[in-house]
Amino acid sequence: MRKTLYIQLLLLSVVIGAITFVISLVVISWLPKVASEEGERIDAIYLFTSIICIVIFAIVAAVTIYAMFKFRAKPGELEDGKPIHGHTGIEIMWTLIPTILVTAIGIWSAIVVVQNDDLPDDHRIVAVQAQQFAWSFTYNDERDGLGGMQVGELVVRVNEPLELHMTSPDVIHAFWVPEWRQKQDVVPGITTFYRITPTEEGVFPIICTELCGLGHSVMRNQVRVLNDEAFEAWATEIRSAVDGGGETLGKSVFQNQGCAACHALADAGATGAIGPDLDSVLTGQSAEAIRQSIVDPNAVISEGFAEGVMPPYGAVPEDQLEALVDYLATAVGDGS
Amino acid sequence: MSDATAHTVEHGEHEVGHAPAPPDRRNLLQRPGWVRAVMYGAISFGLATAFVTGLRSLGDLDPIWELDVLLTAWTVVVPLGFLTGLGVFSYWIYWVTGKPTLPDDHSGHGADSWKDYFKVNTDHKVIGVQYLITVFFFFVVGGLMAMFIRAELAEPGTQLIDPNAFNGFTSVHATLMIFLFVVPVFAGLGNYVIPIMIGATDMAFPRLNALSFWMLPIGGLIILSSFLLPGGAFSAGWTNYAPLATQQPDSNLMFQMGVQWAGASSIATALNFLVTIITMRAPGMTFWRMPLLCWANFTTSLLVVLATPFIAGSQFLLMFDRVLHTNFFEVAGGGYVVGYQHIFWFYSHPAVYIMLLPGFGIISEVLSVFARKPIFGYRLMALSLVAILFLGFSVWAHHMFVAGMAPWLRIPMMITTLLIAVPTGIKVFSWLATLWEGKIHFKTPMLWAVGFISMFVIGGLSGIFLGSVPIDQHASDTYFVVAHIHYVLYGGSVFTIFAGVYYWFPKMTGRMYNETLGKAHFWLTFIAFNVTFFAQHWVGLQGMPRRVADYDPVFADWNMVSSIGSFVLGASTLIFLYNMLVSWRSGEPAPSNPWRALTIEWQISSPPSKFNFDEIPQVVGGPYEYGVPGARHVVLNGSRTVETEKPEPATVGAEH
Repeated sequence: MRKTLYIQLLLLSVVIGAITFVISLVVISWLPKVASEEGERIDAIYLFTSIICIVIFAIVAAVTIYAMFKFRAKPGELEDGKPIHGHTGIEIMWTLIPTILVTAIGIWSAIVVVQNDDLPDDHRIVAVQAQQFAWSFTYNDERDGLGGMQVGELVVRVNEPLELHMTSPDVIHAFWVPEWRQKQDVVPGITTFYRITPTEEGVFPIICTELCGLGHSVMRNQVRVLNDEAFEAWATEIRSAVDGGGETLGKSVFQNQGCAACHALADAGATGAIGPDLDSVLTGQSAEAIRQSIVDPNAVISEGFAEGVMPPYGAVPEDQLEALVDYLATAVGDGS
Repeated sequence: MSDATAHTVEHGEHEVGHAPAPPDRRNLLQRPGWVRAVMYGAISFGLATAFVTGLRSLGDLDPIWELDVLLTAWTVVVPLGFLTGLGVFSYWIYWVTGKPTLPDDHSGHGADSWKDYFKVNTDHKVIGVQYLITVFFFFVVGGLMAMFIRAELAEPGTQLIDPNAFNGFTSVHATLMIFLFVVPVFAGLGNYVIPIMIGATDMAFPRLNALSFWMLPIGGLIILSSFLLPGGAFSAGWTNYAPLATQQPDSNLMFQMGVQWAGASSIATALNFLVTIITMRAPGMTFWRMPLLCWANFTTSLLVVLATPFIAGSQFLLMFDRVLHTNFFEVAGGGYVVGYQHIFWFYSHPAVYIMLLPGFGIISEVLSVFARKPIFGYRLMALSLVAILFLGFSVWAHHMFVAGMAPWLRIPMMITTLLIAVPTGIKVFSWLATLWEGKIHFKTPMLWAVGFISMFVIGGLSGIFLGSVPIDQHASDTYFVVAHIHYVLYGGSVFTIFAGVYYWFPKMTGRMYNETLGKAHFWLTFIAFNVTFFAQHWVGLQGMPRRVADYDPVFADWNMVSSIGSFVLGASTLIFLYNMLVSWRSGEPAPSNPWRALTIEWQISSPPSKFNFDEIPQVVGGPYEYGVPGARHVVLNGSRTVETEKPEPATVGAEH
């Protein structure tokens, strides 16, 4: 009698385990496609953890379901169950086995952490600045002639190890590329590091995952992973655009500072709706008033908008600020 | 007298020897109560305002009317004035000033009409009910906010509420659910049953108990009042990370100060539980004979007393940064941003166990009674609570794996985090073993208990994923985390709360709840809960961050499913409220022991008499000796054992 009971239970566990296994590891694809070396290691530990969890889930579910049907009292039955107070052997077993399993997950995870933290010496360094609610990227080292170039979109070379040195002037943000798996907060006052080796070409989203204010959900950007040829072509293009300078500077500051995340401006193709529509509120404003609205946004608040939402952009370099003000003064109202 | 004749379900009689207090002859403005409370509150408001503006004008500070300073003063002084007026401090003030304190009149003890629930009362049973009503009010308010959140997220884009309102609703929703519902609801349930379970007539410090309760709604109202301030409710999340919190409008102060009142309430109650459980157990009630709920409240109270001061500190430091212009977390002044998170999580991770352990206790009571079996491995069950208590203090930084803390700290924090699955696993396996070869009765509390185990296992397993640093680097701050915490705190804690409320409802009200509605409530909640939250695991891993008012349209379908599920989930709560209200008024009279349970609270009348016992209970055995011939937990009135107690209503009629 007792033997059949345990065989039935075992069969039920196997069936539930098999169903869960098929659903969660074959039918549903839980993770987006992986596009980095570090991500592949993370996916391996994810798979290992999943298998352990499926086994535990199957046992627990089987026991619960089995007990619910098998040991249900008949209507009106007042008898008590069997007075079992415990079983030292079983209790030791379900203390030891989970300890071993979680320790295994822990050791493997620690190995992955160490491997993912370790980047070859010849990696490229890009400085990332996250601020409400935009990302900007500065190429720190001289390779490909990009030294000191600041851009509004991250472009990297496939299979080239990359270290991002990330800072924030205002609040905490977080840098996440789901296809790369890695995530790291960007914290005011300190520099945090994000190490990655992209293995797939393509365009992937950069998502801020730390609540950073009203524009948090639109604080997005993208990373383009290019092959050697395409990357070099892009680098050449960027160098010549910056060397050209002048008129387009204001517009590129507008893009790089992330104004478009919150404001609409037809000339720049910006459609942000967090803050006022610049085409309407800036039309007819003096350059001085526009400058004040950038460096001290709470001085004048447009009707229907709250104070304290837009952070002051006082840290923008003077030449860029001037170019931005000139650009805004001429661009507003053009498109409408 | 025997309890069968002394108490009707209307509990209208006074006990001999405890005459009602002589009527207070002072007028309404002078005697303790709501009128005096409002008056004292208003006077305190005036004094605080005059003090702040007066000092500022003396010091030639500009502006004289500075809202952040005033809010800080108001949120401290006005509640103190209100509580004084209400009479919470009366006894202590009399004692300190040498006035006669009338220690023996018991005037503030027990409830004779519904009005007594709105007065300062020192009866642990009245305070328990006051707690429960209050926290379920905040549960409904917090739930309504969740409805707004899900309505906005049903489709991508901005439809119903703007990002400011959205962030406000998510922040206040979480704050209310944590600080005004899940944490204090266990103080309410514990208040009612713990003293009776250990055979005590009340808590150790009844007046402190009353103060603990009255601080709670004050905290809740301060938090809700942030909606009325310029800029809308605080919206930096319930974690209120610096420096976003400092950058926010002054309504953020209402989080910082509201949490102080709720936290003080929590600490005072926990101290009370500790002293009660240590010193007031009935003869024979050794620690190893205590019901597991008492063990759970004991360990939880230790967590509360040790950890809660840290969140109080974190919020005081934030308040100092704003009001006193200190630089604890201000980078420009040399502050350390990640430091806030360390202090915050040193409370807020143990808080997860503060919100779970009492529920574990409830589940142990319910499972053993409805499976008619002793708890499997009682001692290991108690010891695993103690293990969680110790380990719980060494895992806080697993909330910060990607936060930019010292990198070496990640590995040890990961190991302790994963190890905490071991005592938690012991509890789950022991519950399942308790079901094994039992005689299971699927009454409503039992449905919630089994539902809890299945949901909590899912929440626990997703916790193992998050505990591993590399996986957390991908899953942290996404909807995977949202799904995880709702499986742990809703499928976990809230399910235990419903189990407990249904289980003790007959004891508290003297009436039975409606079983059909109870089961309907369970099944609707169980299904809607899974529809709401399960797909969020997938959505999160695929790339949807949490706390976003808008999202990538590729996730539109599953978000719509979540929203529909959440509306059904909200509606299912209406069944619960209806059942509770109607059954309380006109449910069938409850027998003293409808579940044939062995613990002490079921051996006395439903509801219990004003001082619980007519004689001191004598504890003679373990609390869960179901199926053991002749075993007894307690000797009361010489005759009460489970064998002689019949559950049929017909017997109840005979009792009256």
